[in-house]
Amino acid sequence: MSDERVRPQTATGDAQPAGESSDEGVSAHRDAIAATPESSILQVRDLDAGYGDLQILEDVDLDVGDGEYVTIVGPNGAGKSTVMKSVFGLTTYMSGAIRFKGEEIQQEPPERIIHKGINYVPQNDNIFPNLSVEENLEMGAYILDEVPQDRLREVYERFPILEERKDQRAGSMSGGQRQMVAMGRALMLDPDLLLLDEPSAGLAPDLVTDMFDRIDRINDDGTAVLMVEQNAKEALRRCDRGYVLAQGQNSYADTGDRLLADDDVRQQFLGG
Amino acid sequence: MALPQFFSSGTPLNAAKKGRERVIEIIVVATVVLIGIDLIAKLAGRQFSLGVGPTLGGDLALASLAGNVWTGILVGLIFGLAGIGLSMTYSILNFANFSHGDLLTTGAFTGWGVALLIAGWGVGDAGYLLFARSGSGPGPSTIGASIVASPVAIVAGVIVAAVMTVVVALLIDRLVYRPMRDRGGIPLLIASIGVALALRSLIQFMYGSRTRGITATQDVRREVLGFSINLHQVTLFVVALVLMVTMHLLLQETKLGKAMRAMADNKDLALVTGIPTERVVRATWILGAGLAGIAGFLFVLERGAMDYNLGWFLLLFIFAAVILGGIGSIYGAIAGGLVIGLVHEVSLIWVSSDFNAVAAFVIMILVLLYRPEGIFSGVTTA
Repeated sequence: MSDERVRPQTATGDAQPAGESSDEGVSAHRDAIAATPESSILQVRDLDAGYGDLQILEDVDLDVGDGEYVTIVGPNGAGKSTVMKSVFGLTTYMSGAIRFKGEEIQQEPPERIIHKGINYVPQNDNIFPNLSVEENLEMGAYILDEVPQDRLREVYERFPILEERKDQRAGSMSGGQRQMVAMGRALMLDPDLLLLDEPSAGLAPDLVTDMFDRIDRINDDGTAVLMVEQNAKEALRRCDRGYVLAQGQNSYADTGDRLLADDDVRQQFLGG
Repeated sequence: MALPQFFSSGTPLNAAKKGRERVIEIIVVATVVLIGIDLIAKLAGRQFSLGVGPTLGGDLALASLAGNVWTGILVGLIFGLAGIGLSMTYSILNFANFSHGDLLTTGAFTGWGVALLIAGWGVGDAGYLLFARSGSGPGPSTIGASIVASPVAIVAGVIVAAVMTVVVALLIDRLVYRPMRDRGGIPLLIASIGVALALRSLIQFMYGSRTRGITATQDVRREVLGFSINLHQVTLFVVALVLMVTMHLLLQETKLGKAMRAMADNKDLALVTGIPTERVVRATWILGAGLAGIAGFLFVLERGAMDYNLGWFLLLFIFAAVILGGIGSIYGAIAGGLVIGLVHEVSLIWVSSDFNAVAAFVIMILVLLYRPEGIFSGVTTA
């Protein structure tokens, strides 16, 4: 790896006028991350991870508070999705720690992590196309002995179209509806933390807003959300806090609004 | 401008392709019509010439045709039953299992060994019977292994065939396939060819190379309402049908079945969803191998004889059935099996028994020309 990282030197706190860093306990910039409240349910510390021998993430720190809505933005190939996959036990762990509700989970396989209350919606191929919509949702609760009918009801109330089409082959539905199937599946266990990988990818522009609104509502109902988004501006506008990831390291961390207002972030990652 | 013209040359190309398809279509339709006319003429006992080419018509009893169709269905059910397992291992474990045919052989030999032992208890030496008449001893009619003379032996044989084949398949999976699960389809396929050879040789070593008669046929053929019915064939028909319906219900209605379909659909997501993928793989082997073992056993029940090559020779037909039906779909495997079986038997009206297998494969190729993805495409195990 070369040293010509995009990561600016200002990342350690100079970018913002001093003294503005932490109101309401939300952290500003890398130095302040450690000051994140104890209530954070997910803590990632100095995480190195990758795939096989290939290291993608280097010293990544990240926090998600209870019920918080956190976004990771950054250029293509920065390792945004890898952060999510690492939290969910889908990458090769190298060093560092991932704690969920105080418990170390960095070496756990996905099925154990589901039990602890995290669920994950991958970016691509996130449904079972040949199963019916309802069967897709049932699979979301596979680890339970019985399909939790109350959860199924709640998912249907959240996404009424899914109930209308519950017997339809999931693969025959439109892009937006598939995304609802995928989210519904992940909500079947009422997770405390929902990982969303590029939920707006491949959606028609008018559906993107709708999708973001739905994520807002899921978060309003108490589920913490950690989201990776290509659509960085919209994501930062909506989230509580954001992280900017470049070259496998996090460069900025702040509230979404402040990141949006930050000149460096705007110029380097949000296209001006 | 030359450039746009160059780009528009896609149209004549398309036209050429359309033209070729049209020619194939005409040939196929003409052949089907000719065969149809010929069949009707044969059934009517008429014979006439078209002026050129072979004479059409002849003499064919309706009962004879019905006999061919019935045998075709029976053979087709065997292909279908065995094909279900092949199709499932393909879609869930991601490889074409060339040792699947030898799982049929495993079922046939282990199952019939026990069936002969029970049926011929006291008649012959236990070792001779258990190794499916390897060595010298009483003949099949003395042992009396038939659904009439010793139904218990047949039922026990079916169960042992299933259980032993499952045990063998799980053992092979543990020793060979599981360590290389993530290596992709081609290494697994090649390994499965090795497994096929090893398994077949082992069976040959244990049971001998001789083709042997197995079943007793006394009183197996009965007159029912004026029809002559072979009870062994009826047994095959009923057992195969019951198993197919059971498989359908299992895959559609049970949690395990849904998980199997989910895993066939999207392995990565299955893992992310918390489906215990190794347990699903085990279930796939248990169901697929169990059906294969029973298919092998039933095949011998109908044929009356067996040798160690039985499954290897059937494998090509099973593959044909599965591919024809759309690989990955159990309904495709059943439908494909029936088509291949029917063509295999009914074509005997026109071609000698040296060529009826060719007819079956020609039909497979023709269907695939029209539906390259198979009859039940896209309905993976669903």
